[in-house]
Amino acid sequence: MSKQKLTPALNRLASFWAKNKVWIIALSACGLLEACSGTSGDSLPILGQREAVTKVVNGKSVTDSVYQSIPDFSFVSQFGDTVTAKTLDDKIYVADFFFTNCPTICPKMKVQLKRVYEKFKDNPDVMLLSHTIDPAHDSVAVLKEFAQNLGVTGRQWLFVTGDREKIYDIGQNSYMVTAQADSTAPGGVVHSGAFILVDKAKHIRGIYDGTTEDGVDKLMSDMNRLLAEYKK
Amino acid sequence: MIRLTGILVAGFIFINLLSCQSDEEIKRQRYITEGIFLYKNNCANCHQNKGQGLAALYPPIAGSDYLKDKKSVICLIRYGQKGPIVVNGKPYNRPMPAQPQLSDLEIAEIVTYIYKEWAGETKITDVKAVTPILKECKQ
Repeated sequence: MSKQKLTPALNRLASFWAKNKVWIIALSACGLLEACSGTSGDSLPILGQREAVTKVVNGKSVTDSVYQSIPDFSFVSQFGDTVTAKTLDDKIYVADFFFTNCPTICPKMKVQLKRVYEKFKDNPDVMLLSHTIDPAHDSVAVLKEFAQNLGVTGRQWLFVTGDREKIYDIGQNSYMVTAQADSTAPGGVVHSGAFILVDKAKHIRGIYDGTTEDGVDKLMSDMNRLLAEYKK
Repeated sequence: MIRLTGILVAGFIFINLLSCQSDEEIKRQRYITEGIFLYKNNCANCHQNKGQGLAALYPPIAGSDYLKDKKSVICLIRYGQKGPIVVNGKPYNRPMPAQPQLSDLEIAEIVTYIYKEWAGETKITDVKAVTPILKECKQ
């Protein structure tokens, strides 16, 4: 008896499924996507270490997480002036590590970073910061000539040199990339081909493969997402 | 009968000629295939995949007037070069690193590829021609 009653209902369900299969799948796919993007919101994640810090505010103790951020630094640009973290205040920026005599991945990275430069040219919220990891050779004059030869003008893309230890330290400990001297590698220095995206609060929001077009396409779309966060 | 033999002989000669040509051509194609691979791994970082160079940093190979002197191209692939140069009327001044790890054959393959791709050459640059040039420029 109950089986007889159940069957038409099942049949109806089955025919509903058959008729609307495409829509059901599409809708649930939308739901899934929504759920996934919902967990991280529209915004990019903040990368790196985080610490719980307990402070006393208005007599109550409040626990807050403090994210890893880029500390202050002091390097010299291709124009010979001092560049500090303050130079990049209120900007999102892309950082990378290279050296002018590098025969391996640097030219590839510079081709790719040039694409970023062309795309965000004259956007006052965007800067590029290339650190040399061979400051012994890459003086201000060498960097200036390199930038000119690459077709870079103005101050939106800064090429910086400075104290070797400090450059390696900020690369490894703050930007989370590897850079070290290795006499067996061509050009004498090994390093990663990473581009690091930093937001206006100096937090790292993404690390990308700067040697591939795909990696840099992703960087540029994430830069647009990050810029959109500040427009809300 | 004589006519038939004549035709057969002529045919033989023709086939021989054909296979001779294609032997040479097969070798050239093999050089080019290797050359593409070697170019990508040893040259394209600076000179780019299409040989267009990079801004005023690295000179182009495609359409470069530097290709006119094949001997010096062969030498500079192995031994690199330093100091200012002019390519197609434009100045460049970045050292090109030596590539001592490339064998004579590999240099011949690269040269065959870049001259086919960017100078319209249809002939192989054989390793037999490259070796004496490399010996000469070493001195």
